[in-house]
Amino acid sequence: MINRTLAPTITSINEISFTAPKIIPLNQHVNLFWMSEIYDETTRIELHFDAGTIRSAEKVAGFVNSLLLSGTSTKTSTTINNELDSLGVFTDIEVGQEIAVVSIYCLRKNAEKAFSIILDAITNVNFDENEIEDIIREKKQNFLIGSEKVSILSRRKFQESIFDNSINYSRQLKLEDFDTITKESLIDFHKSHYLNGLVKLIIVSRLEEEKITLIAKTLTEFCVSTPVKFEDNFINKKGRIDIQKDGAMQTAIRIGMPLFNKKNSDFIDFQILQTILGDYFGSRLMSNIREDKGYTYGIGCGVSETFESGHFIIATEVGKEYVEATLNEIKFEIERLQQEEVDSDELTLVKNYLLGQLLKSADGPNAMTDLFIGAFNQGKDLTFYQDVINRINAISAEELKLTAIKYLNWENLTIVTAG
Amino acid sequence: MIQFEKFTLSNGLKVIFHKDPTTPLAVINTLFDVGARDESPDKTGFAHLFEHLMFGGSINIEDFDAPLQNAGGESNAFTSNDITNYYNIIPAQNIETALWLESDRLLSLAFTEKSLETQRSVVIEEFKQRYLNQPYGDVWLELRPLAYTTHPYQWATIGKEIKHIEDASMEDVKSFFYKYYTPSNAIVCIAGNFELDYVKQIMEKWYGDIPSGIKPARILPLEPKQEIFREKTIESKVPSNAFYYAFKMAEKKSFEYYVTDLLSDALGRDKSSKLYISLQKELKLVTEIHCYITGSLDNGLLIIEGKIAPGETFEKIDSEIWKVLEELKNKLLSDSDLERIKNKISTSKEFQEQGLLNRAMNLCLYELLGDANGVNEEASLYESITAAHIHTIANEILITENCSLLKIKAIQE
Repeated sequence: MINRTLAPTITSINEISFTAPKIIPLNQHVNLFWMSEIYDETTRIELHFDAGTIRSAEKVAGFVNSLLLSGTSTKTSTTINNELDSLGVFTDIEVGQEIAVVSIYCLRKNAEKAFSIILDAITNVNFDENEIEDIIREKKQNFLIGSEKVSILSRRKFQESIFDNSINYSRQLKLEDFDTITKESLIDFHKSHYLNGLVKLIIVSRLEEEKITLIAKTLTEFCVSTPVKFEDNFINKKGRIDIQKDGAMQTAIRIGMPLFNKKNSDFIDFQILQTILGDYFGSRLMSNIREDKGYTYGIGCGVSETFESGHFIIATEVGKEYVEATLNEIKFEIERLQQEEVDSDELTLVKNYLLGQLLKSADGPNAMTDLFIGAFNQGKDLTFYQDVINRINAISAEELKLTAIKYLNWENLTIVTAG
Repeated sequence: MIQFEKFTLSNGLKVIFHKDPTTPLAVINTLFDVGARDESPDKTGFAHLFEHLMFGGSINIEDFDAPLQNAGGESNAFTSNDITNYYNIIPAQNIETALWLESDRLLSLAFTEKSLETQRSVVIEEFKQRYLNQPYGDVWLELRPLAYTTHPYQWATIGKEIKHIEDASMEDVKSFFYKYYTPSNAIVCIAGNFELDYVKQIMEKWYGDIPSGIKPARILPLEPKQEIFREKTIESKVPSNAFYYAFKMAEKKSFEYYVTDLLSDALGRDKSSKLYISLQKELKLVTEIHCYITGSLDNGLLIIEGKIAPGETFEKIDSEIWKVLEELKNKLLSDSDLERIKNKISTSKEFQEQGLLNRAMNLCLYELLGDANGVNEEASLYESITAAHIHTIANEILITENCSLLKIKAIQE
């Protein structure tokens, strides 16, 4: 009989094999990242545009994005959709705060055709009045549905408050904005941010090199011609904001503050610290607020990075009777990190867990590409992840305590509740 | 093509091994042949509550997650109306840590009062977060009992009501465990860069001495054939009116299941589908419309759901939906329509199979249905479907007598 009370021996991860995609410049400011080391028939093509919500004072970024496949002078939206669906193509077209991304997922044999249909569609949008009306109607309904969710209400207010000193980054769509969209503003935004807005091209596929080169060449004319700039030095509105939502059974809580991204030398230390606090299933927030108290189905935290900065965020939804108790426990857990050193068992566990997560983030060509881009966006290369491994192995409990004292101050936090 | 080997331990535990030489990770996926359909009508939500308790410590190991995380791994689980599925993803060299933990919780749980008390509360918050505190979140709590009068699919995995979860006792928990959590009622898939002999050896080492148990016989009340149209309207504080048409369909083991899947794609998978083009794009009656199947192992549902555009009525929508359905019943799907639907399925399958975990979960599910190799036969099964097959199924199931309609009427407070 085996002794089941004894844990099997653990072998720690010392080495992770990282593979970089090939980097092929389209012009001085725009690169193609091509991951060709893939063994199946899938193809993923991503076009990144300088077309995020920060770029549109008229708040049309999301509308233009949704209209990208809405028809050209020779094709209706239905024709375009039908052509793509016939090739078994999936698209994912999304707008973020800083950039907008058009993703194409298809089989390798259909990649060139899919790409040319999509490129034609997104560069020749004719902004048909009917299509514009359809999109506004559909997006307005979605907005109204979102407004019934405490998670979305709190997120909108949190974004507004965390980027309090930036008009562009704090911008949120309001209900009345749906009535003021003009065709001209859509056309203008499309012209400056899509037709001259390509900032990055990603391909994960074992397409032949000449086909890749051709795709890259076709896109050259849509590239940005000057370096793209993003803001930093954000200042948040500190303190608590409560949003009333009648009839809600749970309250959404968002807590955070402006921080930094990988460019900052404390980034890795903070990542390790915030993992202990709330970024894995066994974290202190999960253990305390879910597993011990049962106030919530889930609580977590994370660092959200922008090109030049970043912010820290804690998010949860709790029974409405548990709001104050939850806030007290979050405060308690933050202060505990500042007052007591993490004990060695917990620290070893988090180190091993993080190395396992990094191994997972590097597993497979798609994951590896995303990992690479994550570093490249902030002026780093794959040596960054070797630094991560080294730092995870080296960091001490004392250094983590100092990191907590340096960055996690309750008085500096934005606290939003909606419920 | 997903390569795999199968073997069975002497205690009846079925093991599937899938070798992937390209990954440094291992997946250990465990499927238990128990879901919400196995609950009694006065104790619903139990299979899912139990899934939470499986993380609350086992007979020899105080905590499930910490040792796994300490070995660089992570774990999660889900419960459906049909099955309960647990998985671990861990660096391959530490696979035995996951097997140690998984086998010990199959041997026996710790059954602490504290764990039960906390997880009851966590699940109640989950109930609120996912079903009660979301616009349209309670739809499935209403639609299931409308569509099913007899079969246990009439309740959702979260349970009929919060009270059932509040009332769960330690005695209930224990008897559920002893009945369903046995080697004879489980299928394990090991995926990663290993050799078969090694997998056999470590599986025998960790699972070999666990008593077999008796595979529980499943005798579920059969849902009688629906003979009349059913309809229910509920008022809710939501932004727009919404509709859910539910048509009974075939069980997963049947050929008709796959035909119905294609039928639902033709009706409402994407922006080339018939309902989208007619109701949303041309008539502008809805702001969204979708058609899909529930994917249930027993007789499931084909659902048409959507949200009504401002100023439009349920009556108008109803008549236009039926026009689309009648057209599909009267006319064969064109070759190009059929090819389009099949091409989408091929692409999504290729992407799904990229994931090691997906492959492991699918192998277990197909093994439950009778043969893990079913996962490799799926593609040719879809390929063999003709427009005539779809036509037959459309005429069989898309009829009012086979339909239950739930309307959500938006009210202002």
